[in-house]
Amino acid sequence: MSRTSRIGRREARTGLQGGGRAAPVRIVIWVVLIGMALYILAPLAFMVTASFMPARDVMRMPYPWISGSFYWQNFWQAIRGNDGHFMYARAILNSVIVATAITASTALLATLTGYGLAKFRFKGRRAVLLLILGTMMVPFQAIMIPLYMTVTKMGLQDSYAGLIVPFLINAFGVFLMRQYLLTFPDEMLDAARIDGAGELQIFFRVIIPNSWPAIATLSILTFRSQWDNLIWPLLVVQSEEMKTIPVHITRFAAEKFTDEGAMMAAAVIASLPMVILFFALAKYFVGGAKLFAARKG
Amino acid sequence: MKRMWLAFIAVVVVAGLMAIPAAGVQLVFWTHEDPNRTPLEERYVDEFEAMYPGVTIQRVAYPSGEMAQVVLTAFAAHQGPDIFNQEQSPEFPYIVNQRVAPVNPVALGYPSVQAIYDAYQTGTLDGATYEGNLYGLPLEFTNWCLFVNTKYFREVGLNPGTDYPKTWEEMVTVSQQLAMRNGDILTRRGFDFRYPYYLTFLLPMVEQLGGALLSEDGQTGIINDAAWLQVLNYFQQWGPNGLNLGSPTYTAARKEFNKDNNAIAMCESGLYQIDRIRTENPAFYASNEWMIIPFPVWENAVNNYASNTYAHYYMVNAESTSEKQEWAWKFIAFMLSHGEEYLLNCGLVQPTKTLMASEAYQSLPYAEIFAADIARAKSQPLNVANPQLEAALKVAIESVMLSGVTPEQALQTLRQTVNEILQD
Amino acid sequence: MRAKGKRASGMERRRARWGWAFVLPSLAFFGLFSFYPIFNAFYTSLFKQKLLSLAPPEYIGLGNYTYLLHSPTFWNSVRATAIFTACTFVLLVGVSLLLAAFIVSRKRVQKTLQMVFFSPAVVSSVVAAAVWLLIFDPRGLGNQVVNGIMQTPGVDHKWLASATMLQLSTVLVYFWKYVGYFTIIFIAGLASIPATLHEAARIDGAGSWQSFWKVSFPLLKPTIVLVSVMAMIQCLRTFSTQYVFYQAGAPRGPIDVIAFGIYNTAIRDHQIGRASAMSVILFCIMLFLSWMQFRVSRSDDVSYL
Repeated sequence: MSRTSRIGRREARTGLQGGGRAAPVRIVIWVVLIGMALYILAPLAFMVTASFMPARDVMRMPYPWISGSFYWQNFWQAIRGNDGHFMYARAILNSVIVATAITASTALLATLTGYGLAKFRFKGRRAVLLLILGTMMVPFQAIMIPLYMTVTKMGLQDSYAGLIVPFLINAFGVFLMRQYLLTFPDEMLDAARIDGAGELQIFFRVIIPNSWPAIATLSILTFRSQWDNLIWPLLVVQSEEMKTIPVHITRFAAEKFTDEGAMMAAAVIASLPMVILFFALAKYFVGGAKLFAARKG
Repeated sequence: MKRMWLAFIAVVVVAGLMAIPAAGVQLVFWTHEDPNRTPLEERYVDEFEAMYPGVTIQRVAYPSGEMAQVVLTAFAAHQGPDIFNQEQSPEFPYIVNQRVAPVNPVALGYPSVQAIYDAYQTGTLDGATYEGNLYGLPLEFTNWCLFVNTKYFREVGLNPGTDYPKTWEEMVTVSQQLAMRNGDILTRRGFDFRYPYYLTFLLPMVEQLGGALLSEDGQTGIINDAAWLQVLNYFQQWGPNGLNLGSPTYTAARKEFNKDNNAIAMCESGLYQIDRIRTENPAFYASNEWMIIPFPVWENAVNNYASNTYAHYYMVNAESTSEKQEWAWKFIAFMLSHGEEYLLNCGLVQPTKTLMASEAYQSLPYAEIFAADIARAKSQPLNVANPQLEAALKVAIESVMLSGVTPEQALQTLRQTVNEILQD
Repeated sequence: MRAKGKRASGMERRRARWGWAFVLPSLAFFGLFSFYPIFNAFYTSLFKQKLLSLAPPEYIGLGNYTYLLHSPTFWNSVRATAIFTACTFVLLVGVSLLLAAFIVSRKRVQKTLQMVFFSPAVVSSVVAAAVWLLIFDPRGLGNQVVNGIMQTPGVDHKWLASATMLQLSTVLVYFWKYVGYFTIIFIAGLASIPATLHEAARIDGAGSWQSFWKVSFPLLKPTIVLVSVMAMIQCLRTFSTQYVFYQAGAPRGPIDVIAFGIYNTAIRDHQIGRASAMSVILFCIMLFLSWMQFRVSRSDDVSYL
């Protein structure tokens, strides 16, 4: 692969030529970018450094970014919990189970539905899309009580089912996959049909393998919003063993026992699975160029 | 084959018989999170279940900030817990709407309801009394005094024993001496108020001057403008646009007090704060560099009121079966029979006459200061619209402190809002 | 076309049936867990009902709506929401698009940049709120950093106290939280544009910007619509940031967005009928704005040919 064609491939991604831009413009862009990166990272740096110091130092002026000592007691307190029952590990497990189940089901069902809405012409498909989108437009407080009643009538409270089932699919997922699949080349689908493949086969053999960027993106965003869900688990879960991370952290940092250092430590621990997931999926976000060799325009 | 089938059927029948659950009562008990109280009450649950094998109790602790919402949703869906507690202010709508049951004196171990009133200090059951019925028993009964960090007083040349603020005017002078600033920013405040809880500390300040939030008949709002204006002016002076002694946007005073890290010298809190100091900062607790003083009064006060008292009451869901209700009251009685343990382990005062007279209570440091303040205090007013009234007070105080609204304007808005709330 | 008439319609009907088949499972699910509660909320908005009351709800038809439309508090909420949405929406969509375009063109630092901008998402909202509260405390990093940069020691910028700064603070936090989200959505959209198209354009003599505008941008339209509709809905629905700031002592007026008003009306005032009416009004606003965006973009007709 010659050097020129490699450059061509990089430029070809967005049509933006890196080398051809004037130097001052590049400098401005980099300055703005670094400024923004600092703005994004500063609160996180604060969180991580605060987890290493005792709570009384967290509000010092000026803030002691590098304190030199590592106050490991915060992490111990976070893992141990205020009651000494070490329930944090269980909370993390619960969050992982719930978020993974919801992510998997959303990825599948959203792609299925998005495909139907994007590539099939049937009467009323616009209405169906708007109907589904409409479910995103009602704030959770308004539907909280009827939803809670439905779930308790089904006997699902205080169980994984109660945490997972109401969220098996969400409107954002359907919307994302539909928009993405709009640009999926019809020729590939027609070619597969001519080859005699059935519709479901086409879905599993053609659509899914070529949609990884969107599916990966949807997965990480769904995982994240479930990881972060506080109100629903708070309502639905009563026993200690079923609590998820946000419920645990809120209780842990309850107003009468403020210990910012320990709370930051708990947050650092809670963010690790998300970081791992991101790195695992990151290659699908932009590394899909090879996948699209097949999708010749 | 036949023998195998018979054996199989036998096994199924026996398993079925074993699987029939023992007839039992299951109680659901929701309360708010308190790291000191949880191990105590979990022990009570175990002991009670051991005493009565047919009864199981599930105790769930929620974060205090979210608990009101969770309990409300559960009750709205008719799935409320059998036993729960809240502060008297959010509990009142449950009473008014008959969602909680009146006490069952026999199950509680008293001959009559009057006997219950006789067992508790006068007035401490008012928060759960409505139209002649009693609806709950207190888990804790609280009033606020001022906590003082004596070390900072001495640092600025004050003698904590004599120079502590006895009036609100003195509070300003003392706080000015104690305050440390970096430009406009207060790095150490002398004192700061317990901001969102206006029904507890702000109303007494107004009532000390002869004002009131509601008229006697509860139909009109804001009585005695002069009193209100004095209070609003005071807060305007206190805030960033005046003498800059404090502001609602700083971290809450009582949260910083325990850390003893030069952030605040005085705060408002209840008896339970002592226990929190001991758990959070044992060195500070042991150093005795802290003391408690009574709630200040205005120099021109006409009434000597301390901060309002309020209580958390254990209540029973009216929609539970009568059998469950009876066991619920029995369990509540069992828990509350350990008044001394609640006091010594959690710093919670259950205002029974026996406990208040006991050695344990009397020998608590500063108990007499809290008791003296309770004697000159009124109970937090009961009104279904309390949350909205408190929000209206919040708007009034914050508008004069932060938004540059004049006290006269703020008072007018407050009056309008309160009257609208009353009409709703 | 005419000659294919009968067969085409047969195939079309078959296709249409498959379309429904793919869509039906999720519709069933939405039916139970979304449409039913939403319908319930719509229905409740026609009644005057207090949450804990055992009395039957009182039918008042459009009474809640007339009350709201005459309520200055509600109009303040609309204003606060509009201001917040206008600022945040423009920032979010614009910056995330530019960021995505930039990140995709820099192969070496791609993963790092992505991780950097997505990192606020790995932090739990509960904790993020606590962190930002500490930053906006007058003694916190907010003042320290700004004073450091502008060399004005000791000035309190009143992040949570003054009305303008408070609104700015909510925008800052929201932008911080969500810019990474929309950036990676754009990146996914950009990544799906085959490289061959750009090569073809380059061979045809197109310059870099032309290539972007004529090739990438049109194919990116569905993603732009997605991001723009989602960002707008998210901004209109904003609640938790304002709630946390209010609890921490900030004044209510400037940040009394509609969703916060709904929460207060339902949970604090127990007026579930009125809260449902507010939800319905918010729903209509969102529906209208989304529909407008669809119309303006007409993004459904996208293909490579």
